Amino acid sequence: MNSLRIARAALRVRPTAFSAPLQRRSYAEAVPDKIRLSLSLPHQAIYKSQDVVQVNLPAESGDMGVLAGHVPSIEQLKPGVVEIIEESGGSKQFFLSGGFAIVQPNSLMSITAVEGFPLEDFSPEAVRSQIAEAQKVASGGGSEQDVAEAKIELEVLESLQHHLK
Amino acid sequence: MVFAWKAAGLTYNRYLAVAARVVRRSLKEDKRLAAERRGEQDLRFSKWSNGKQGEVKNLAEANAAAAVAAANAGGSA
Repeated sequence: MNSLRIARAALRVRPTAFSAPLQRRSYAEAVPDKIRLSLSLPHQAIYKSQDVVQVNLPAESGDMGVLAGHVPSIEQLKPGVVEIIEESGGSKQFFLSGGFAIVQPNSLMSITAVEGFPLEDFSPEAVRSQIAEAQKVASGGGSEQDVAEAKIELEVLESLQHHLK
Repeated sequence: MVFAWKAAGLTYNRYLAVAARVVRRSLKEDKRLAAERRGEQDLRFSKWSNGKQGEVKNLAEANAAAAVAAANAGGSA
């Protein structure tokens, strides 16, 4: 008699155990709506696993905006401005000298660069005078390495000048 | 895609160093002084043979000379 009752209880329990996972599923659980961002320089961490809404990147393959749930990817960054839209709705811009952005599957994003500063830290006069200098070297008769380095400097400076306007 | 600096024999490391240097130089005066201190390096080395110290050389200059030599030899360093 007792064992029969247990068997009956098991019969009753089973269907609910099957349907439970289906009922619990929801969109809110499936996709996190924030990116956990780390923006690191060798000497400083500007963002340390902080939740943000969107990150706009100057990738070598083209400018792109990254939201939560982005496909995992590795992007080489051009010298340019990353824009970070924070949870409060405000956005912050940093000029990075070039590096990598890595998006991991669980909306985890790491950006590494050598130098990164907010735009207001730059001096437009210093940029202008360096452009003139780099142009002279780039069109001059220096060694192939000197010309190549001047061209790198020009790429960085022109991007800076574009964003400082 | 082949980058221009790659074609000229520069390494990605050198490309990043040049880009970072020019970013530091573009900063406003106070920030620039603090930042440029990070880019400085002053390392010297010398080779010892038979118990005698050889010529003392600057590491940065020796590295630059080696990079130029490697590029001229046509190797992709």
